[in-house]
Amino acid sequence: MMRLLLSNRIWLPLGLAILLAYPLVQRSQYYQHVMIMTMMAAVLSSSWNIIGGYAGYTSLGHAAFFGLGGYLVALAHNHFDWHPFISTWFLAVIVMTVALILGWISLRTHGSAFVVVTIAMVFIFRLVALNLSSITNGARGLTQPRPGWGDVQWSPDFIKVPFHYMMLVLLCLTIFASWRIRQSKFGLGLIAIREDEGKAEAVGINTMLYKVLAFGFSAYFMGVAGGIYSYFFTYIDPQFIFDVFTGVTMVLIAILGGRGTLWGPVLGAFIMEPLGNWVIGTFGGTQIHLAVFGGILLVVMLFMPQGILPTISNVVKQREKARVANAVSQ
Amino acid sequence: MLGQAVLPALTQRQSLLFCQRSFGIVTLPSTHLLIQTVILGMLVGGVYALMSSGLTLIFGVMRVINVAHGAFLILGAYCTYWLFQIAGLDPLISIALTAPVLFLLGWLVQRYVLSRLDNPERSSVLITFALAITMEGLMGTFWKTTLRSVKPEYASQVIEFATYRFPVTRLIGFSAAILVLLMLYIILQRTNLGRAIRATIQDRNAAQLVGVNVQAVSAMTFGIGIATAAAGGSLLSMIYSFNASSQTDWITRILSVIVLGGMGSLPGALVAALILGMMEQLTAVVVTLYWSPIVFYLFLFLTLIFRPQGLMGEITREKA
Amino acid sequence: MLEVNQISKAFGGIRAVDGCSLGVERGSITGLIGPNGSGKTTLFNMITGFYQPDGGSILFNDQPIHHLLPSQICHRGIGRTFQITRLFWKMTVLENMIVPVRHTGWRTLFSQGVKKHEEERAMELLELVGLTNFRDEEAGKLSFGQQKLVEFAAILMSDPELILLDEPAGGINPVMIEKIMEMVDALNHQGKTFLVVEHNMRLVMELCQHIIVLDHGQKIAEGKPAAIQNDPLVLEAYLGSTEHVGA
Repeated sequence: MMRLLLSNRIWLPLGLAILLAYPLVQRSQYYQHVMIMTMMAAVLSSSWNIIGGYAGYTSLGHAAFFGLGGYLVALAHNHFDWHPFISTWFLAVIVMTVALILGWISLRTHGSAFVVVTIAMVFIFRLVALNLSSITNGARGLTQPRPGWGDVQWSPDFIKVPFHYMMLVLLCLTIFASWRIRQSKFGLGLIAIREDEGKAEAVGINTMLYKVLAFGFSAYFMGVAGGIYSYFFTYIDPQFIFDVFTGVTMVLIAILGGRGTLWGPVLGAFIMEPLGNWVIGTFGGTQIHLAVFGGILLVVMLFMPQGILPTISNVVKQREKARVANAVSQ
Repeated sequence: MLGQAVLPALTQRQSLLFCQRSFGIVTLPSTHLLIQTVILGMLVGGVYALMSSGLTLIFGVMRVINVAHGAFLILGAYCTYWLFQIAGLDPLISIALTAPVLFLLGWLVQRYVLSRLDNPERSSVLITFALAITMEGLMGTFWKTTLRSVKPEYASQVIEFATYRFPVTRLIGFSAAILVLLMLYIILQRTNLGRAIRATIQDRNAAQLVGVNVQAVSAMTFGIGIATAAAGGSLLSMIYSFNASSQTDWITRILSVIVLGGMGSLPGALVAALILGMMEQLTAVVVTLYWSPIVFYLFLFLTLIFRPQGLMGEITREKA
Repeated sequence: MLEVNQISKAFGGIRAVDGCSLGVERGSITGLIGPNGSGKTTLFNMITGFYQPDGGSILFNDQPIHHLLPSQICHRGIGRTFQITRLFWKMTVLENMIVPVRHTGWRTLFSQGVKKHEEERAMELLELVGLTNFRDEEAGKLSFGQQKLVEFAAILMSDPELILLDEPAGGINPVMIEKIMEMVDALNHQGKTFLVVEHNMRLVMELCQHIIVLDHGQKIAEGKPAAIQNDPLVLEAYLGSTEHVGA
C-alpha cells in the first residue's frame, strides 16, 4: 500500500495533469501567481541541486546566474525587440558559458571556502550591475514592456496563463535533465565526488571537469528562469536579484526537501514557496520572513539534515526491515 | 549608508585648492589627499581589525566560519544605540555592558547550537548563515529599517593636525580598537585560558591530550569572539550608520580581512585590516565611492582561489 | 615499468622524501618497506599524483607522470588502494565497483550509469573476492575486512597494469591475509605488476620477489627477500626504531 502511494506512476501523471489544468480551473490571479512562483522555485532549487545536491558543493551565489539571465533577456528585449519566451532559451547559453568560466576558477576551492567564494561572486555581480549604469541602469533597474505577443498585449485576466505554461515547460525540462544526469555515469561520478572527492579522483574521475560541467548545467536552467522572471515582473533591479538571500532560499528549499534527491527540491518548493508568500503577505513590510526562513533552515540543518524525502524513505525502509524480520521469525 | 563612513572631511573648495587631476573615471589625488587617505585608511583598518579579531579567533579554535559575526556586530551596535537613546550612555562606556551580555549570548550559541555539528568545517557556513538571516529578520522586525547611528557631542568634531583633518570619531574608534586588541593580546598571552586557547588553535588533539577541555575552550572562545563583536559594534554605531540589513556588508568586509590575513591568525587579521582599509579609502578617492566595496569582494574571491592560506595563515595539507 | 628518479618532497621543514630513486620491474611483485616515517606513503601519493614532487621525476612506461592529475594517472593504468580503506560508503557495493573508470569519452559520460557488461564484469570480480551476495548492500555496512576486499576488487575494474597496495594486510585476520596473498599471486601470474607497502614482514618476504627499503626518505637497500633480511643497514634502520625484522 505504502509503495503504491509513493510510486511515481501515480504521482507523476497526476501532478502533471493538475499543473496542466491549473490555470484553467483556478481563476484567481493571486493563486496563479503563487503557482508560477512555486514552479520557479522548484526549477531553481532543482538546478541548484545538480551542483549542490549531487556533487555536494554548496553554492550560495547561484542567484548570480538567475539575475544574469534576467538582465540579458531584459536588455535583448529592450534593444533588439527579442521576445523573452524565445530569447531566454538562447541567452541562457551565455549564462552557462559565464558559469563554466567562473566554475573553472572557483571550483579549485572546497568546502567552506567554496561557499564563501560563491558569496563573494554574487556580491561582485551586484556591485557591477549597480555601477555599470550605462548598461544596466544601475539601482533604478530595467523595465520591460508589458507582456504580450507581437502587437497584442495580454489582457489582465489572461496575462499569467502563458507564464504558467512557460514555467511548467521549464520545470519539466529541468526535472528531466536532473533525472538523466542522476541516471548517467556523470551523475554517479558527481555523487562519488560528494562522498569522497580524493577517492573519486583516484579511481579515474576527472573531478574538476565533472564539477565545472555540473556548475554550468545548473546555471543554464537558472538563467532561463531568470529571463522569464524579468519578463513576468517587467522589472528587475540589482539589489533584489543579485542577493544572497535569493541564493539561500533555493538552498533551503533543496535541503528541506532532500538535497541530492530528484524530487526533494520540488517538494521543498511546494512547501516553502506558498508558505513564504503567506508570511510576506500577512506580515508584509517587516523583515519577519527572513527570520522565518533562517529559523526553518536552522531547524532543518540541526534536526533533519537529510531533508524530508530521505527521512521518510529511511522510515519506510526501517519498517520494511522490521516487517521482513517479523515475517521470517514466525 | 556608506556615504557617511567613507568620505574624507574635505570640502569641494579644498579639493580644488589641493589640485586633483581627473582622467576619465580615475581621479589622481594630490599628495596631500593621498597621505590623508592613507592615514584615514589605517584608522578605518584599525576598527576593521577589531571586528575581525573575534572571527579569526573563532575559526582558529573551532574551525568554524561564523558568518553570523556581522549580525552580532549589528546587534552590538543596536544595543549601544538603545543604551545611548534611553540612558544617554556614551558608546565607549556601554561596551562594558554590551560585551558581557554578548559574551553570554555567544557562549550559549556555541554550547547549544554549534557543538551539535559533527563536521564543523563543512557545515558551519550554512548554519551560521541561517543564524545570521534569522537575527537580521528579528532585528529588522523589532527595530525596522530606519538607519541608525549614535551621535555623542563629539561626533561632529574634526581634529586638524598640520592641515590634515580627521573626524574625532575615527580617531577614538582607532584608539579604542587598539586598546581592545591589546586586551585580547594580553588575555591570550598571559592568562591560563589564553594559553589553552593558543594550544587548541595549534593542535586540537594534542591540546586535548595534555588535558585541555577543548569543548569548554571552544565555548569560551566563541563567547570572547562575540564580545569583541560587541566592542566592534559599539564603534560601528559611532562611525557608520546602520540597520539590520547592514550585516551582510559587514560580514563580507570582515570575511575578506580574515581570509586575506590568514584564517586563524590574529596578526594576519591586523595587517590585512590595515591593507584593506587603505585600499578601500584609496578606491573611494581615486575611482569613486561606489566602487570601493569591490576591494573586499575581489580580495575575498581571489585570495581563496589563489592563496587560500592568506598572508599569514597555515597551509592545510590535502588529504590523500 | 615504473621509474622514480631523485624524487623529493618536503612539508614545511620536514623532508619526507629526500632524493629517492627506485624502479619497479614489469610483472613483479615488489615490496616497499621501511620504518614509520620513512616516506613510503608520501612516495605512493606522489606516484599517484596526489602530491607534486618538489624535484625529480617519475616515469611510467617511459612517460613522465609526476605532473599529472590522479585521474589521468589512473587512466594510464595505475591503480591504488589506501592505507585506511576508502570507499563510497553510502553507495552500494555494486555502485562502488562501477564508479572507477579507465576510459572516458563524452558519450560514455552521459550514457547509462550501470551498463550490462560492466555489471557482469563487476559480478565476476565480486565472485573473485567472494562478495557477490553483498552487491546491493551499502558499502558502509560491511565488515572491515569485506570493505578492504571491495576496495581491492573495485580497483581491478579499471584493469590497471600496475597496482599499488598500501598496507593490504593492515588490521585484518590471518585467513583474510592468506586470501589476499593468493589473489595477488594469481593476478601477478596473469601479468599484473604490484608495488606493495607493508609492515607485515611474513607477507612481504613470502609474496614479494623484490624488496626496496626506505629510511628517512631515501632508498637504503634493495634486493631479494633473503638478502634484505640479512642486510645490516636494514636491520639498523628498523632496530633503531621499535620495529622487528624477520619471519
